[in-house]
Amino acid sequence: MSRLEELKTRIKEALPGLECVIGWQKGYDALHNTPLFMRSAEDVDKLEWGALNVHNPAVYLPTMAGKKVGVVVKGCDSRSVVELLQENLINRDNIVIFAAGCDGVVDLTKVKAKLAAAGTGAGVVTAVSADGKTVSVTAGGKTVAMPMAEVAADKCLRCQYPNAVLADTFVGTPAPQPTPVPSANADLDALDAMSVPDRMAFWRYHMDRCIRCYACRNACPMCVCRDHCIAQSREPHWLSQDDSVTEKLMFQVVHAMHLAGRCTECGECQRACPMDIPVLALKKHLNRTIHDLFDYQAGVDAAAIPPLLQFKTEEVNIKERSW
Amino acid sequence: MAAVKYISREKLPEWLKALAAERRLLVPVEEGGAVVFRAYDPAKAPVFGSDATAPPKGSVFPASKELFSYTYGKEGEDAKPTLTLDPKTTAEPTVVFGSKPCGARGFLIFDRVYMGKKFPDPYYIAAREATVFVTMACDTVENTCFCHWVGSGPADPAGSDLLLTPVAGGWLVEAVSAKGEPLLASPALTDGAAKAAEAEEVKAKTRAALGEAPDISTSKEALLARFDDMDFWRDQSDKCISCGACTYLCPTCYCFSITDEGSGMSGKRLRSWDACMHFQFTLEASGHNPRPTKAHRLKNRVGHKFSYYPTLHDGLIACCGCGRCVKSCPVSVDIREIVQNAVAKAKA
Amino acid sequence: MSEPFNPYLPEVATILETVQETHNIMTFRVRFDDEAKMAAFKFGPGQVGQLSAAGIGEATFVINSPPTRMDYLQFSVMRTGEVTAKLHNLVAGDKVGVRAPLGKPFPVEDLKGKDIVFVGGGIGMAPLRTLFLYMLDNRADFGKIRLLYGARSPLDMAFSAELPEWTSRTDIETTLTIDREADGWEHKVGLIPNVLLEMAPKAENCVAITCGPPIMIKFTLEALKKLEFPDEQILTTLEKRMKCGIGICGRCNIGSSYVCVDGPVYTYAQLKALPNEL
Repeated sequence: MSRLEELKTRIKEALPGLECVIGWQKGYDALHNTPLFMRSAEDVDKLEWGALNVHNPAVYLPTMAGKKVGVVVKGCDSRSVVELLQENLINRDNIVIFAAGCDGVVDLTKVKAKLAAAGTGAGVVTAVSADGKTVSVTAGGKTVAMPMAEVAADKCLRCQYPNAVLADTFVGTPAPQPTPVPSANADLDALDAMSVPDRMAFWRYHMDRCIRCYACRNACPMCVCRDHCIAQSREPHWLSQDDSVTEKLMFQVVHAMHLAGRCTECGECQRACPMDIPVLALKKHLNRTIHDLFDYQAGVDAAAIPPLLQFKTEEVNIKERSW
Repeated sequence: MAAVKYISREKLPEWLKALAAERRLLVPVEEGGAVVFRAYDPAKAPVFGSDATAPPKGSVFPASKELFSYTYGKEGEDAKPTLTLDPKTTAEPTVVFGSKPCGARGFLIFDRVYMGKKFPDPYYIAAREATVFVTMACDTVENTCFCHWVGSGPADPAGSDLLLTPVAGGWLVEAVSAKGEPLLASPALTDGAAKAAEAEEVKAKTRAALGEAPDISTSKEALLARFDDMDFWRDQSDKCISCGACTYLCPTCYCFSITDEGSGMSGKRLRSWDACMHFQFTLEASGHNPRPTKAHRLKNRVGHKFSYYPTLHDGLIACCGCGRCVKSCPVSVDIREIVQNAVAKAKA
Repeated sequence: MSEPFNPYLPEVATILETVQETHNIMTFRVRFDDEAKMAAFKFGPGQVGQLSAAGIGEATFVINSPPTRMDYLQFSVMRTGEVTAKLHNLVAGDKVGVRAPLGKPFPVEDLKGKDIVFVGGGIGMAPLRTLFLYMLDNRADFGKIRLLYGARSPLDMAFSAELPEWTSRTDIETTLTIDREADGWEHKVGLIPNVLLEMAPKAENCVAITCGPPIMIKFTLEALKKLEFPDEQILTTLEKRMKCGIGICGRCNIGSSYVCVDGPVYTYAQLKALPNEL
């Protein structure tokens, strides 16, 4: 039985005891999958597993508090579930985790660029097939074969957890851990190489096209203030609604700071951005700092307390007394 | 109507430069993978092939606009408080060049609301009157295009002033409003009569590529019939993450917020884009919210476009079918599917 | 060239007087600084205004002084959010902004010659006060006028300075009620809908006009139905979050009806025809 078929079988078995199970199905065209809320066996038959399951379904869990729900996860998604558990934002007794080995997902922005280079476009895709090594996309009558290594999401290129770190049901054989690719951190490397004024200019250039839709915030599984976010609140009134780069950048900084040591780098903020603003780099930068200071990675151990949610009189790597 | 003209690809920069010399000229350009309307820069080639990521909505309805500034003061020996309000309704003469027909058509939806009889909006009217739309008819259609569902089409001139149609070597140029005609005077344009037949073929071919539109003529009643069916709306909105991408990128979404921004004795009152998908949009000071869940909010968004607005405005659907809400949605919520589901359910 | 009318631009007004009505309701009496505009100002009972504290924002309140008494425009403000908190800190002489009139008034012409029953609860008395005083100032135009005004306790009763006049006038019938017994209270004790049933106004040629908290409205409507008031003879005013007040910004709509322009006054029959989104 394929991983997908086995997943379907196991979900159907569990469904009667659950409000729903969240996974993915085919979307409006061959290139887009979309989140699926399975409430009946017919819904389960729509389930998909593969390179187009780009979304992180963990984002829905905190909004369904009090209901017993199932969730199908990739390795990276499972880290968000674990981090939510670490922070008591969801209740373990109410979550049933279904997982299978993940061979990586595509970055639709990279696919778009490949199609444009081939003289066609993402808007006219008629067929997609993927076998783990290659993604073949047919658009405007042309079929473009793309090596997975060239169109995979950056997070897949540096993936340490292709298999869920926590699962109630794991189907199939675990996926092998990919060899890290040097280009996986190209975004941070490029920013590191910039002078501070250049880095500021970089952010000002990119944030200028931000439309303040807050897709970055709402797609983030860890961004749980959501309906009470300071971005739109008047009490406190920290941000102005003025359409200025300063306000937009301020929000990104607030968002990133709030995620320091909590962010699992699932990349949903950047993927969700309709304006293709590279906002993940801010969180990656803070995570690197957290990693250096606390030797900590978010969302891998449900029993661990995130470093910024606890207090130690003397941190190993923060030499307060020797200042 | 004025004679049809032709502009070649080679001559286009000359025309753009001439237009930019006289007023603000906004063209679609690529910025970090997205296509946005920006002031014309001869050093940066506009992107006319695909539809812009963000429509030219901001040209007439900016993301934030100062309604007036306020200043508190004190005067006289007894230091009586004073309050001075200073409104600015003027707008800069602008040409929006290279939008697709759907992007320009969005303002038709705005017009009926902002240019109503009872409370004409002086800010909107000034900007609308100062802006000329030079639109490019489509020669390709995308999976997310559905302009033909909503009474429009890939060469729809409604809302535009000039209509350009791609032909071999350049574009056929037609004035579709009196406001557009003066722009034809540029020496970069030549007579286009010989290209007219080719342009008609392009228009027909593109329209044919869209295929038949489903019948959604009953959407008004069908959506109202589903108003209390919250299971239906839960199913439609399950995956929605309540962000504002669909509304802010929508050429017809016109809702806004008004906030005072300032500190101390002075500041300004702003009108800024707001989205009915956000929880805070209808949140009342008491804590009560008439649209408390994303299901209620998505119901309002779809209902407004395909039921309430048409009810108030002679059946005109408040959607131009550009498909941005589908294409740019982080989770691919498809408004076409929701409307069709409601229509199908009403028939069942 | 004169500027076109700008519906977003408030008139600058000065607070003449404030009245602390209850622990959380304060009344403001204001006049436009532009005397010509004040003299020309026309409105109908039930119409609302946006009161602004520039720098904080605007909120919607009914003009609760009647058009027959134009020494000032009166607004009663319950402290609930950011804007109302700021307004409560203002004193006589301070400046506010006023955008008014907005919305539709009560159908005063249609009410002429009719008996009227006002049923007001808490701050919901404010919109009723406008029409009530208007009717007192045009007493001959209307039939029997009855007012039922209730609050949780005597201390929660706004407009207390006016209550002696309202209860002593013989050309109207005023009933005051509170939810629970309180020392020194000489009027009724009981929930508004129950007192209304006791009063048992006759529906014939009578219009009931009610405003108050949602739960009170709900049971008052039930009581009115028991008293056989037809839906067309019940008027109420709605409250919604508003920003523009001119039917554009998209907050206050119930389906295709915009409370800020089509309301806030609705007959029960009209309300029933609207989608259910209060």
